[in-house]
Amino acid sequence: MAVRRQGSIRLGADVGGTFTDVVVQHHDGTVRVRKVLSTPPRYELAVLDVLADLLAQPDMQAESITAVIHGTTVATNTVLEQRGSRTALITTGGFRDVLELRRLRMPHMYDLFWRKPPPIVPRELRFELSERVAADGTVRRPLDEHELRRVLEELMAAGVESVAVCLLHSHRHPAHEQRVASFLREHAPRISVSASVEILREEGEYERSATTAINAYVRPVMEAYVDRLDRGIAEAGVSAPLTIMRSSGGVMNAADAAMRPVFALESGPAAGVVAAAGLAEQLDQPNVIAFDMGGTTAKASLIEQGQVSRAREYEVGASLSSGSRLIRGSGELIRIPTLDIAEVGAGGGSIAWLDVADGLHVGPRSAGADPGPACYGQGGTAATVTDANVVLGYMRTGAVADGQIELDPELAEQALVDLAARLGRRVVEAAAGVHQLANARMMRALRAVSSERGREPSDFALVAYGGAGPLHAAGLARELGIRTVIVPAMAGVFSATGLLLAQREFHDVRSCRVSCDAPDAPAVIGRLFAEMAGSAKTAHGSDGVRLVPSLDMRYAGQSWDFELPLEESDNWLRPDAGLVGVAVGAFEAEHERVYGMRYDEGAAIEVRAVRLAAVYRTTTVPVMAPATSEAVPVGAHRETWFDGEAHLVDVRPRGQVPTRAIDGPLLIDEYDTTVVVPPDWTVRREPIRDCLVLERHP
Amino acid sequence: MSDLQDLGPDRVDAVDPVAGQIVINALATIADEMATTIFRTAHSTVVRDVMDFSAAICDPRGRTVAQAVSVPFHLGSIPTAMESLLGHYGGRFRPGDVYLMNDPFDGGIHLPDLFVVKPIFSDTGILLGFGVTTAHHGDVGGRLPGSSACDNTDIFQEGLRLPWVKLYDEGVRQPDLVKILRANVRVPTMTFGDLDAQVAACVVAERQVRKLGERHGSEGLARLTDWIIEYTERLVRAEIAAWPDGTATFTDYLDSDGLETRPVPITVTVTIAGDEVIADFTGSAPMVPGALNSTRSFIMAAVYHAVHCALDTRVPNSAGAFAPVTVVTEPGSVTHVVMPGASSMRGVTGFRAFDAVNGALAQLLPDRIPAAGEGGNTLAIFGGARPDGSPFVYYELVCGTWGATPTHDGNDGLSNPCSTAANISVEVAEAEYPLEIESYGLVPDSGGAGRFRGGLAVERAWRPLVPDVSLVIRSDRAVTAPYGLAGGQGGARSSNIVRSADGSERRLEPMVSTRLSAGEVYVHRTAGGGGWGDPALRDPDRIAADMREGKIGASAGPDAG
Repeated sequence: MAVRRQGSIRLGADVGGTFTDVVVQHHDGTVRVRKVLSTPPRYELAVLDVLADLLAQPDMQAESITAVIHGTTVATNTVLEQRGSRTALITTGGFRDVLELRRLRMPHMYDLFWRKPPPIVPRELRFELSERVAADGTVRRPLDEHELRRVLEELMAAGVESVAVCLLHSHRHPAHEQRVASFLREHAPRISVSASVEILREEGEYERSATTAINAYVRPVMEAYVDRLDRGIAEAGVSAPLTIMRSSGGVMNAADAAMRPVFALESGPAAGVVAAAGLAEQLDQPNVIAFDMGGTTAKASLIEQGQVSRAREYEVGASLSSGSRLIRGSGELIRIPTLDIAEVGAGGGSIAWLDVADGLHVGPRSAGADPGPACYGQGGTAATVTDANVVLGYMRTGAVADGQIELDPELAEQALVDLAARLGRRVVEAAAGVHQLANARMMRALRAVSSERGREPSDFALVAYGGAGPLHAAGLARELGIRTVIVPAMAGVFSATGLLLAQREFHDVRSCRVSCDAPDAPAVIGRLFAEMAGSAKTAHGSDGVRLVPSLDMRYAGQSWDFELPLEESDNWLRPDAGLVGVAVGAFEAEHERVYGMRYDEGAAIEVRAVRLAAVYRTTTVPVMAPATSEAVPVGAHRETWFDGEAHLVDVRPRGQVPTRAIDGPLLIDEYDTTVVVPPDWTVRREPIRDCLVLERHP
Repeated sequence: MSDLQDLGPDRVDAVDPVAGQIVINALATIADEMATTIFRTAHSTVVRDVMDFSAAICDPRGRTVAQAVSVPFHLGSIPTAMESLLGHYGGRFRPGDVYLMNDPFDGGIHLPDLFVVKPIFSDTGILLGFGVTTAHHGDVGGRLPGSSACDNTDIFQEGLRLPWVKLYDEGVRQPDLVKILRANVRVPTMTFGDLDAQVAACVVAERQVRKLGERHGSEGLARLTDWIIEYTERLVRAEIAAWPDGTATFTDYLDSDGLETRPVPITVTVTIAGDEVIADFTGSAPMVPGALNSTRSFIMAAVYHAVHCALDTRVPNSAGAFAPVTVVTEPGSVTHVVMPGASSMRGVTGFRAFDAVNGALAQLLPDRIPAAGEGGNTLAIFGGARPDGSPFVYYELVCGTWGATPTHDGNDGLSNPCSTAANISVEVAEAEYPLEIESYGLVPDSGGAGRFRGGLAVERAWRPLVPDVSLVIRSDRAVTAPYGLAGGQGGARSSNIVRSADGSERRLEPMVSTRLSAGEVYVHRTAGGGGWGDPALRDPDRIAADMREGKIGASAGPDAG
């Protein structure tokens, strides 16, 4: 007899380039998961197919679904694959090439054959207006409506579908841009218009232009996609509104996502971090590093005192040549609130190779899904990280993931034979080298979000997920001095559960240059907060909305800010000198923590931007994992290598790991990954979320 | 305290190459953290926006074992600086010391580049290595704002010269030195802001290298860094050995001797022999009266960079890369400044030395070398008083464009590969300095014609908002155009024009110190990149695309592209 469950059901759909993961959460918190192949370019089809399939189940009813939360790679892929709309840019006279010149930098040294990626808007579609605003916001040359009319004609003649408007100093004086936007909307209603001040009011003409241009470029594609998905869901009988995950970890409604898709560019990776934060909260672990390792890349993000870390810019389409985030130029730099996620090109598919001096390297080239690692038996012959892991005994062989893949240990070994011979080592030694070097590369991402920000990694636990994360986590943790590793249930689809936890949020910002010791500083800051609070109230009302204020601060003369949150309980709408003083103290402490120094007492400190996030208070239910039932033969063992020694290691399913800690070595085989517990670690199962907790012996 | 631990010649053999690669990654991560720290805490536009700085880690013998991805030219300059530091203070380093130097005659590369170096010790007092930074400071005193001027005629006009001195002595900042610095620079807050950024980067290096020392032990770390240097050398030698042996000579020219416009030859003879490369600058011009004389170390850096670029593999940034490369310079020549020659504007000489080496290498390795780019960043230094009377120095660096390669058009508008500098945001510049930027963009029809065309030149125009502003310009390639290769034509020449309010124009020499009066606009146009291959073989689709984009055809037919 079918069990008809009562209460609400929340549905999360995470659409990636290769797989689409759908998670369904029942009112008691339990979830179930579907993983299917994505259906590019009609990405919505996979989601709608799974939805139809789910609704055919006796315990699922369309009307029980109260929320549909969507994480999508559609916007990013549109940029990466250059499939956006025919986009024009309107800018101030004399500056049409700002978008193409970028910041002039290239991502690495010593490469005279490096090719700069083409600009998102070609030169013939970048139009100039003779208006000019000065740095203080005063108008030097007014907007000429006749000229605007001429530009409109050219836009129409060129068959432009979408327009970005970014005028010099518009963040100080938005009227010209607003007029251009309203003129175009009135006279060319079929052209989609993105004005920079509607996206972000921040200084920096290139970053503002690029952000607006990317928005314009993906907007028609995203509008159509969201519309198809929304209609499909409605046709299936679901009346719950569709919401989309933002790069910052919150969600926005479908209409907003269609209008400002640039905010959803990093939608997918953000979900994983939100999931890690949710898990950490349930486990009472305020400080964790989220670590996601898949087939081609590894990502890391810091969660401190339960709070995700944020960054304010992101390079879309960037190549992953190294973990360095200082060097820009390989992609279009956009400035949007995003989670601070560092990424390196190291994953299970990364290829190991030797240079002419027999130096061993791993990645950034990847065997991808096709042909994949050699052990997949799909024709790949290059040795990959996955092949090394098979040789080391970390991964099970034979049929995995419902028989979708068959891992052949002989092919893995064969792939590593040449490498080992040239290194003058045994095959297992070469494999251990590949495994360790993959760790060394990933360390750069982990360090970028921790030690580079003055955070000691050993003060954090590692939450490891993604198909390859649980294989490498303990080894990485040891290198970083981390003592605790948490592996969630269903690590391969863990990211998608973050969709169930996301809150609706909006971000607003005003650039400014306010010296903290100026007598009018509190008044200026208060005025900007009031302005943003006013528009937040108009847009979102005040019921159930939490306003989160923060200040971007720097020592006068620097070019980099720390974003310092203000206490929500303080009277930040009417700040006084005391409140500014508290912020100054917090800034100095953070500067010292990250850079090991603070300036002399009294050094001038500036507020460079005032930020306000509006976060909805939505109740979310903690995620409960379903019981795992993996078929692992009782008493199974595998020969596994740790630190150059072979061990005959117990293999168990997750369900057979006790809740009290037992000693490693141990291997826990799962649906699509293996949790590796090395000899000097213990492992226990945490009943709350059925995750595994690995701890290193002191 | 022991500075050096010589464990004998065979200590490298004991290293597991995988462990070595892992430490390469770890050290590179630390160097990147150092660079990030400078970038985020620095004050002057040169350092924080243009990113004219470098960060490296050296072993206890002063040999580079890692360098951040910033200015390639600095990499080759570090060995000379460290050799000099060890000569002065070797054996006497103490925890907490920080050393400062800018003397071009004793380890430096010109006065504006301040080296800040911190020795790093283990808990037990063993020297583990050094955190090394160098940054181009906006002003170090001297006769003109910004210190650098092509018409400086000796070192004493160029600002404060510091031999290796202690900025911190066992953790204590040296007040006398601070007083001297403060009294000799125009904008002390900017100078100290940048110096503090460099010190902060060294502290970051100390924190992380000590951890590495704890992990591997000081001896273990020394063995690993030895291996990195040895492995790098092996890698570079293996690649050079695969190149054909041969000798080729090339001469390129500077437009000016710093005082007057006349061609100044930079001649280099490059020999590939077995697994070594020799670059001999004999035959280059004698020292010039202006400030274009290069230190020998900076020329070495230009050669290392050219050789590095010609390699296939990405080689670790370690001292091992230098061993197979020999550089010959004649003391007293423009490529080897001696006392009391001025050198503040030697950057352009380094760029031209790079072009000359590439011109020679192109004859030996035709598939690996692109045509000449714009010829290096143009410097334009504006100095004067703000409306409230306080002084300002605005340091502009206009980056240009690339030459065509044997397989593709030159990149339009990209920093010279020798410096990888960034541009300064128009909105930021206008908000911080009393001037407006009237335009900033690409110049059509300026790339050298070829089967692959050179990159387009870049133009930028400034209008001061205060009267009587001093302007120092260091540009080049107004006389000798960037060369094309394999039948490709040279790029368009550069120009400097001052436009008055009444529309009249005056043309400036490529290297000049002048003043702008109220209402005048200074317009600088860089050179365009050289072309590669016979223009008649250019793909018609590329010509059509260039026409559509307005990149060619503004002043001539399709042949112009």
